[in-house]
Amino acid sequence: FLPMMLLMLLSLNTFQIQAADTVIKRESISIEFRNISLKEAFHTLEEKTNYHFFYSTKAVDDKQIISLSLRDENIETIVNELLRVMPGVSYRIRGDQIMLKKQRNTPTEPAAQPETSEPATTPATIAAQPEPPSSVVTYQITVSGRVTSETGEGMPGVSVLQKGTANGTSTDVNGDYTLSISEGDAVLQFSFIGYLTQEVAVNNQTRIDLAMQPDITTLSEIVVVGYGTQKKISVTNSVSQVQSEAITQRPVTTLGQAMQGRAPGLTVIDQGGMPGRSTTTMRIRGVTSLPNNNNPTKNNALVIVDGIEQSLDYINPNDIESMSILKDAASTAIYGSRAANGVILITTKRAKEDRVTVTYNGYYALQNSVNNPEMMDVASYMRLQQVAFQNAGLAAPDMYSDASIQEWTTSSDREKYPLPNVWYDELFHTAPQFSNNIAVAGGSEKFKARMSVRNMRQDALLNGYDFDLKEVRLNSDFQISKKISVSGDLNYRRMRSTAPTLESTIYDRIFHGSLFTVPKYSDGTYGLSSQGHNPLMYAEMGGKSNQYTQNIIGNISASWTIAEGLKFTTQFSPRIILTSKKDFANSYTNLDKTRNITKAVPNNTLNEARINATEYTINNLLTYQKAFDKHDLSALVGYSEISNVTDSLSAYRERFYNNNIQSISQGANDGTKNNGGNDSKWGLRSYMARVNYSYADKYLFEANGRYDGSSRFTGSNQYSFFPSFSAGWRISEESFMSGISFLQELKLRGSWGKTGNQAVGLYSYYQSLNASAYSFGGTSVIGYKPTVLANPDITWETTTQTNVGIDAQVLEGLTLSFDYYKKRTDGILINLPIPAAVGFAAPPQNAGVVDNKGFEIVLGYRGEVRSAFKYNVEGNMSVNNNKVVSLAGTGPYISGNDIDPRYIIKEGLPINAHWGYATGGLFQTQEEVDSYPTYAANTKPGDVKYLNLNNDDVINADDMTMIGKSFPRITFGMNINMSYKNFELALFFQGAGDVDTRLSGALAEMGNNEGFVSDVVTGNYWTPENPGAKFPRPVKRDLRNVNTSDRMIIDASYLKLKNVQLTYNLPLPLVERIRLTRASVYASATNVLSFSKLKEWGLDPEVGSGRALYYPQTSLMTLGLNLQF
Amino acid sequence: TRCTDDLLDTVPNDRLAQSFFWKTENDAKFAVNAAYPYLDDPNRIFRRDAYSDIGHVNEFFSVNALVEQNLDASSSVVAEEWTFAYNGIAAANFVLDNIDKIPVTDANTAALAQYKSEARVLRAYQYIKLVGLFGDVPLVKKNISIEEARQLTRTPSNEIWDFVDAELHEAVDGLKDTYPAADKGRMTKGAALALAARANLYAGRMEKAIAAAQAVMDLHVYDIYPEYGKLFSYGAENNIEVIIDRQYLKDVLSNQVFAIMAPYSVNNTTSPSPNMYVPTKALADMYTMNDGIPITDAASGFDPYNPYTNRDPRLTFSLFVPGSNLPNGKIFDPRPNSGTPDAIGSTYFAPSTGYAVKKYVNIEDLNSKTNNGINIIQLRYAEVLLTYAEAKIALNQIDASVLDAINDVRRRNDVNLPALEAGLTQDELTDIVRRERTIELAFEGHRLFDIRRWRIAGDVVPGNVYGITYDDGGTLKTIEVPSFTKQFDPSRNYLWPIPQNERVLNPNLSKNDGW
Repeated sequence: FLPMMLLMLLSLNTFQIQAADTVIKRESISIEFRNISLKEAFHTLEEKTNYHFFYSTKAVDDKQIISLSLRDENIETIVNELLRVMPGVSYRIRGDQIMLKKQRNTPTEPAAQPETSEPATTPATIAAQPEPPSSVVTYQITVSGRVTSETGEGMPGVSVLQKGTANGTSTDVNGDYTLSISEGDAVLQFSFIGYLTQEVAVNNQTRIDLAMQPDITTLSEIVVVGYGTQKKISVTNSVSQVQSEAITQRPVTTLGQAMQGRAPGLTVIDQGGMPGRSTTTMRIRGVTSLPNNNNPTKNNALVIVDGIEQSLDYINPNDIESMSILKDAASTAIYGSRAANGVILITTKRAKEDRVTVTYNGYYALQNSVNNPEMMDVASYMRLQQVAFQNAGLAAPDMYSDASIQEWTTSSDREKYPLPNVWYDELFHTAPQFSNNIAVAGGSEKFKARMSVRNMRQDALLNGYDFDLKEVRLNSDFQISKKISVSGDLNYRRMRSTAPTLESTIYDRIFHGSLFTVPKYSDGTYGLSSQGHNPLMYAEMGGKSNQYTQNIIGNISASWTIAEGLKFTTQFSPRIILTSKKDFANSYTNLDKTRNITKAVPNNTLNEARINATEYTINNLLTYQKAFDKHDLSALVGYSEISNVTDSLSAYRERFYNNNIQSISQGANDGTKNNGGNDSKWGLRSYMARVNYSYADKYLFEANGRYDGSSRFTGSNQYSFFPSFSAGWRISEESFMSGISFLQELKLRGSWGKTGNQAVGLYSYYQSLNASAYSFGGTSVIGYKPTVLANPDITWETTTQTNVGIDAQVLEGLTLSFDYYKKRTDGILINLPIPAAVGFAAPPQNAGVVDNKGFEIVLGYRGEVRSAFKYNVEGNMSVNNNKVVSLAGTGPYISGNDIDPRYIIKEGLPINAHWGYATGGLFQTQEEVDSYPTYAANTKPGDVKYLNLNNDDVINADDMTMIGKSFPRITFGMNINMSYKNFELALFFQGAGDVDTRLSGALAEMGNNEGFVSDVVTGNYWTPENPGAKFPRPVKRDLRNVNTSDRMIIDASYLKLKNVQLTYNLPLPLVERIRLTRASVYASATNVLSFSKLKEWGLDPEVGSGRALYYPQTSLMTLGLNLQF
Repeated sequence: TRCTDDLLDTVPNDRLAQSFFWKTENDAKFAVNAAYPYLDDPNRIFRRDAYSDIGHVNEFFSVNALVEQNLDASSSVVAEEWTFAYNGIAAANFVLDNIDKIPVTDANTAALAQYKSEARVLRAYQYIKLVGLFGDVPLVKKNISIEEARQLTRTPSNEIWDFVDAELHEAVDGLKDTYPAADKGRMTKGAALALAARANLYAGRMEKAIAAAQAVMDLHVYDIYPEYGKLFSYGAENNIEVIIDRQYLKDVLSNQVFAIMAPYSVNNTTSPSPNMYVPTKALADMYTMNDGIPITDAASGFDPYNPYTNRDPRLTFSLFVPGSNLPNGKIFDPRPNSGTPDAIGSTYFAPSTGYAVKKYVNIEDLNSKTNNGINIIQLRYAEVLLTYAEAKIALNQIDASVLDAINDVRRRNDVNLPALEAGLTQDELTDIVRRERTIELAFEGHRLFDIRRWRIAGDVVPGNVYGITYDDGGTLKTIEVPSFTKQFDPSRNYLWPIPQNERVLNPNLSKNDGW
């Protein structure tokens, strides 16, 4: 990521030079010289303008006395006039430098033509093409040297400036520079973003080499905040920033994956990598609101890209310049009603005024499943069945006789004696993935543009999938005048994905009801289990589901600097999302030729849907900035509105001529055809304001407010106000701290504010009647009645958050940031159950209070900045305690059941805690059974002892208790970056703690039903001979021992080495020879190592509770290439 | 339209506002139509029998199996039955609360009266079920607010029976005897009276039950359909015996009877689960020989090696038994290790008792197993006759009309059991009418209510579940469903518990005894 920085610097540096150039060129100069020396004339001009004269006294006799009077002339004219007294001397203007030299070839020519300066677009060539020594007539003093980075490499693009003047240059690709200075006692200033600015006195040296030192203070960093930016040192809120290099460092499919473990307080749960439809859940500082089926995204953070709300899945990681995660209310309140779950601000890359650069980022990766549960071996499984049938008091089927087990184990004819479960081997294979991204950026003073094009393709571990993503982004900026600039951005993205129509069935049948099935007979027909299933058949025969999404986002903005410090910005952005889906389910028939079971799907069917969503956003902002003495004041007022119109259309037909005819018009045109559609519309209108004030960069204060109106509410509930305040004190700036040298920075922050959540269904306040269907005498009729009660009184959820924090930097390279926060959400919008006697479904109500309290720590250390081996480490950790405080006197709400995860939402417990029985081991004797209440009749030794917590005489729902947490309390991440010469090694660890998983379905049932049995159970279930076993006795067709209890809870804490990456930066001479400015190759591996209790089950720890019915998590082995020219 | 005032005041055009409604007669019709889908769907009907002695929940881990085995106040099934019934009541109340807003004209008087009466009957239907399941329940006669709902208390069942009886009788006048084809399936006079007979029988109000049943008979609209074997087929829809049914329409408003009830081997669908509910030995053994003698009678001639020959024909009309023909032309062979997909123990989809329900499993649905249009009968004339007989016997008013009523059912053309002769005692007739009711109406959703009324559940329900008896190499083996013991605590299980969540939401609701 170093080259990215280089690029930035180059452009910034040249920008300054050009800016100076621009101003002067337009300036008209008046002079009045009377009998002064030429030297004095130059000097006067240097003072009056930003130009500097360079010449050798051999070439120019500057002691000549001249007189000259000119009015409103440009510099060229003036110099030409001056040259009249210097025959044989020509000049050349490069930037703000005017070089005078002797004309060698045409000494007789009276007045030299000015050598036109290089085009303004390539001023960087000043340094890149130094005059050959032979042609340079010696100036007063020429200093040259090489600037190296901390690794000892030449550092291109470093700005070298003669202090107190505009005389400067920048280093070339090798880090070399040459600068002529007018005075021998000048001081040179070397600067580069991210490095400490160093000053060196020239003292008549002609060679000055310098090693730059990284600026570990990062105090100069700019942080993107709501509707603006702030210097990091003056931020008083809790904001985490992720830079582009961290996002693109490792190859990821989605942005969500890239953000995992990057910022404290941000919890990303990555639940699988199904191509194009991956599932990451993102939470900022815990779950704020009660989950609600109508609003699955209710707890998601608001994502704003260049001022416009977007989905995180729709952003090209390579286009991101920076990402800010706003966590406390003071930073988010400016987003008002949508900010309760935090805000993620994304800024996309824009071109700098620079020569055109082309950047290529590409990788090719191989995906493999990291979710590979092992099935118990065939003999062990069959013997387990013997025991299970026996325990159920049943004769085992003939298949499980000892003789049969013998045959099954020894036979090599797997068509006659199929193994119990080979699906992971049969279905999954290594799958490739690649991504190509090319960005072209560049521009001039008036117009700059950056265009990026990306194509990503991803195959799946399993046949029947395909994912192709193509996108282009064009960000352009026009400087219309000094005061007015306009930007226009366009982003088009097209995603095409295919998945098996029976996808969920496939994952289900890998584990359930598909034992002892021949995947495919040698004649090409499929085997079927006794339940008639075969996941391979479903994958290959079931049909395909296609989804095609197009995203078009335009973003036009203009800003007008009305007066110094006062700026008006307006933005208009349309956003269109077009989705079309086509799910075709094939008809087919398959007969298992040995089992004589038929699977027949007589009718093929097609479901099609189109969803069109159009959204407009308007933002108008007026900002004011003023600094006087030690006071720094900035203020912002703004207006914003969003309007969204979505409509959808769906159609269904069946019985197509064959499975290849897939056009809706070709299906049966009878009563089975069906169609549907919906229209919806919503709007948001907001007024916001912010004031920042700081005194001496020491005392910092900020206030925010937003007045938000939403169409989701009615009457006086339509508008609400969200205020916030924050303050900071940079203690390290106080004079009494000046003696403490090891402390470079110490800041205390505090904030308080309110934010909202408007996540409630549209028109919840509107009592409508729903159509229902019935039939009389073979004719269908329509009926109307209310199904859901309306609630006209609904309003926002309100989250009040208090935050205190410390930022510190100690010793040379140690940074520390700590935040403690308390968040309370009131008036949670939830469809609280209502007495069923009402007869209609519950409307959303504002009820319930949830608390989140916690802290976040970031620790960073940068080591050994001066040797060839460098490293830096940054770790972050957050702890969040979630608690349901009130459910308005209702509840608890329990979901799930005995054989699947059961969750509870109950006052005093974390949201969706695991709920079930506590257990006291296994019953070992019949006396023990007889003396204790039991869950099931005929309980025997070897059965689970469910604890009778309420001390009555039965085991029932009243004995249940909290048995685990479903959301991690602790999350952490750690980045370690090391470099040695041209090599860089990056390690990224990530993990979660204090979280539990309840496996269910076949993973829990230990063969009592008809599914997969994990190898973990082998030899470890209770029998009279094995009383110390971990698992209870198996009982066929009886799930008494696998009830949701603490026995079924597995600690899902984990530590993962999420990514290892080795990068080799090609040596610069080589790079130059192939006409590039930068090139690097890398190899990386993701999901390399993990430590977790779920590992013995062969499961990825991030999978979550349940039956593991999902596309597996993958590991990636990647080769990547980054080029720039 | 941006920057205009309607940004925040969006009015949906994809739904109908209540404020636009209740203007014309048609609105009343729309509203009453919306109350019909709360008639019991097949799953609801079949599972009630599975919770009794004559049926069993085949999928041993389903929520229904938990209800069958050992009920709990937190059961989702119990809560769902409660909610479904009150949704039906609210749909009817929506009609009754608002219908008077429609301006009355000469032209619409009769129609509005009819819709009002239909709503009354549909509401009473739900209350009969609720009292049968839960005993005292809140009596809600109009649409209520959440606050009102939190204040409700349980109305004594006697008051509800009074209400139901009054409502049904009040509804009779507004209804017609029969309707033209396009309205077949709407509530008739007979429906109101027959439900009144059912309600009063459940309430133990035998005189009223007799009177209501008599009134149905006196309508002379209904009769016994001659073929029991076809009574549940497409050909017999809307036949002369049907008084109330839930109407379905293939492709448009379909049910999945075939998919959930047909034997697994003919089904091949696994979603929904096949053989969701299966008959038990208790039911199969209840069918007499075809001469009316119970198989337990030593003189019956029952041959355990050929258990299905010479039996009451209703046995094989109602049940798939080993040897039955399947709709796909194959023979049903559920014996363990039979090698067919139906072999007991081969998978939990196979019928665990070896029996499967045949009612409503029609060959027409063989190729569209999850898309069936067969109407599901809720109340038929045979029930009215048996109600009449049972009530008369209970009052010991045994006369020829009682025997006629039972004989009409037994002597249906294709059943043709010998007629009962005069001279049977009250006890003998009680046994006979109870058995008739059980087998005639098996898997039509009555048994759970009947064993409660008769207070016999404590005797017939508890214990293991048994299935077919078959010849295993010369020895008879009887299937016992593994690891399944039904429990029934007579001190409390004669009523379901009031759903736990309802009591949390409204603490005014008292518990049932023992829960």
